[in-house]
Amino acid sequence: MSESQDDKWGIAHVFSSFNNTLITITDQTGAETLAKSSGGTVVKQNRDEASPYAAMQMAEVVAEKAKAAGIEGVHVRVRGPGGNGNKSPGPGAQATIRALARAGIEIGRIEDVTPIPHDGTRAPKNKRL
Amino acid sequence: MQHVKVPQDRIGVLIGEGGEMMREIESRAEVRLDIDSESGSVAIESVGDPVTALVAPDIVKAIGRGFKPETALSLLDGDMRRFELIDLSEQTRNDNDLRRQKGRIIGEDGRTRELMEELSGADVVIYGSTVGIIGESEEVEAVRRAVGMILDGSPHGAVYSFLEEKHRELTRGPDLA
Repeated sequence: MSESQDDKWGIAHVFSSFNNTLITITDQTGAETLAKSSGGTVVKQNRDEASPYAAMQMAEVVAEKAKAAGIEGVHVRVRGPGGNGNKSPGPGAQATIRALARAGIEIGRIEDVTPIPHDGTRAPKNKRL
Repeated sequence: MQHVKVPQDRIGVLIGEGGEMMREIESRAEVRLDIDSESGSVAIESVGDPVTALVAPDIVKAIGRGFKPETALSLLDGDMRRFELIDLSEQTRNDNDLRRQKGRIIGEDGRTRELMEELSGADVVIYGSTVGIIGESEEVEAVRRAVGMILDGSPHGAVYSFLEEKHRELTRGPDLA
């Protein structure tokens, strides 16, 4: 990205659904995982796994590990459940990105990689809220 | 770059007097808005910090779904603020049912909607066939559950007591465990 070679960049894959948030930081190719975390590692109650509060804590932990691995900045790939499910990322996605930025990791490009069906299988019938 | 559709009668609010609102969103969220007032499609392009630009589509969508611009801009105020949209046309059988359920959510003279706002602290707007909610994450969650209960056919009294309980929970102070 910039002048010095030890300015290493990675990719932060953020999967955020209504039930959980998963953060995985990999190298630029996506082949090697440098740090990962999910909702269950920071909260006790299952229903809190998707909360933005949990996402922030996870992001802090992950940012620390990534920095230890020499990562200076990350490109972000956010993803919602997609497919037949919900197309928009859940509540944890924004909180994660903000917390990463605040933890001193530079944020490069943000991309939405939610899988969109090109007319796949029939959608399930609507659930009650 | 992202596209958001805004209904014809909300375009004016989004742009504001002499483009005032549009410029405020642009400067505060560090984006550029390209509004096509004919078709109602808005193109959002990030110009500054990509992290602040993240909420811009939600702000535009919220205004399009009947929120006051000030309320929509409050999405920028904190990390935990969220905008959520419930599509009633997906949850109801036909136009008649939609009208009936909308009436139930709004309540007599808007009582139910007002109570939802008061007890949860979130902002609730019912516009067309959608219910929009802006607030802190737990507040939004409470309103969503309440709306779900009404759609499921719960009597209003039961929904009120659910909201009262949530209100007590929310005002007791943050439970960080």
